[in-house]
Amino acid sequence: MNPVAYRFGAAALLAPAVLIAVFAFLVPLARLVGLSFSAPAGPLAAYAQLLGDDIYARVFGNTFVIAIAVTVVALVIAFPVAFALTRLSRTWRAVVFACVLLPLWISVLVRTFSWMLLLERNGPINRLVVASGLADQPLALLFNHTAVLIGMVHVLLPYAVLPIYAALVRIDPGLLRASEGLGASGLTTFLRVLLPLSLSGIATAATFTFLLALGFFVTPALLGGASSLTLSMLIDSFVSERLNWPLASAASVVLLTAALAVVAIASRFVSVSAIAKGHP
Amino acid sequence: MIGKLSLNAFVALVAAFLVLPILAIVPVAFSAQSFIRLPPETWSLRWWSAFFGDASWRLTLLASLKVAALTTFISVLAGTAAALGIARSGPRGRALLTALFLGPVVTPAIVLAVALYSMARATGLVGTLTALVVAHTMLALPFVVLNVGVSLDGLDRRLLLAAEGLGAGSFHVFRTVTLPLIAPGVVGGAVFAFVTSFDEVVLSIFLAGPTVKTLPVRIWEEIRLEYTPVVAVGATVMLALALGAAGANRLLTRK
Repeated sequence: MNPVAYRFGAAALLAPAVLIAVFAFLVPLARLVGLSFSAPAGPLAAYAQLLGDDIYARVFGNTFVIAIAVTVVALVIAFPVAFALTRLSRTWRAVVFACVLLPLWISVLVRTFSWMLLLERNGPINRLVVASGLADQPLALLFNHTAVLIGMVHVLLPYAVLPIYAALVRIDPGLLRASEGLGASGLTTFLRVLLPLSLSGIATAATFTFLLALGFFVTPALLGGASSLTLSMLIDSFVSERLNWPLASAASVVLLTAALAVVAIASRFVSVSAIAKGHP
Repeated sequence: MIGKLSLNAFVALVAAFLVLPILAIVPVAFSAQSFIRLPPETWSLRWWSAFFGDASWRLTLLASLKVAALTTFISVLAGTAAALGIARSGPRGRALLTALFLGPVVTPAIVLAVALYSMARATGLVGTLTALVVAHTMLALPFVVLNVGVSLDGLDRRLLLAAEGLGAGSFHVFRTVTLPLIAPGVVGGAVFAFVTSFDEVVLSIFLAGPTVKTLPVRIWEEIRLEYTPVVAVGATVMLALALGAAGANRLLTRK
């Protein structure tokens, strides 16, 4: 095939998808950024209001802290699981993998709803706690930070396990055996051989988990309610309750900037497409 | 060896933690009472007949299936073509296109929702099938492009050269050599696209309207009020579909 036809063919093949990406993704986002400067009180008024108010600062802080907490807990759980996956027999590895991958097919709404059912005042967990005498009264397990943490870790754990596993599986087991053969304790082998070699996988897992946690909406909205407001819930209230488009778009730009900053910082350590592909 | 035993026990616990809580919705769907109790005291199918007997719930399920089908159709065609186009592009074009197509994956859903909702309001498309299909296609496209791309990367170019060398025209080569070899990637992408659309919540909440509403949106609305086990039925339907899709994916993309 002659080169001109080849190139033209490539452009024709790409055209529909590019059009969709441009008109359904880039243009709306660009428009949103423009809207953030459209407050009647002035182009930067929405940002001034957002970044100057103490209430909103607390929401930013809460969103950030939750995202960090969720990422740390998810990583701490994910690393041993990913490590064990490299050591398991084929059948057990397939079983555990199925358990890790299956939740990703299920809507975040369904997964969050199931936690609502489990954590509520008269739910099975509380009934067990009261019946076994661990507490006199049902614990407040729902509509607080704890519930949000549990729910978000549950949803994000697969995203943390997969990149770490991908990195661990590439490590030559001979290196670990050599380390132990030279007399290093398990802890030393872990700290000085395993951990450094798996750093890129951990970084990818941390980036993707943190990124998703920052933007989470459904889980904090249903499990945290008014006591654990996140930036995404704030954006929702600006649109749905106050119809304040400059404020809503300014808050969206802030969230988007934070997400891009995370990706930019992480891209110095891992490839961005690896982060996005960490998603199955 | 105690170390290995406790590690395996930990992994078993985590695996259970990942899978079992999701099943909490299923018993509730079979409750005989109208209040929520897990597990239910008495069992019945009344909420299943309530779900499928109620026109408004049925319409949301139908809308979800319609939107998902249209989304899958468009995103598979556009995404497969795009993956083929990317394969023909130089390294700079490839990097740029990858960034463009992966954009929706790294952008927070609420930001996409607000951006598209604003545009939908400006174009009068709020609460229309079109808006939902456009939004879901935008979200599903990256997965199709990625999936087909992976299949294409594994394709041995010499097979294509051999076919052309034997005199086949380029479309013939595509139809008889390329397409069968990337079929697992295309089918996998199609299944992902369908599930992505069917499960989608955040953008759909904003773009749905009183007449066109998907099942997740209806469930979302009901959960925030006083709800009966019929909501758990809706969630179980979503769960069943997701499990079916995961199974179909395994069967259809086996090489």
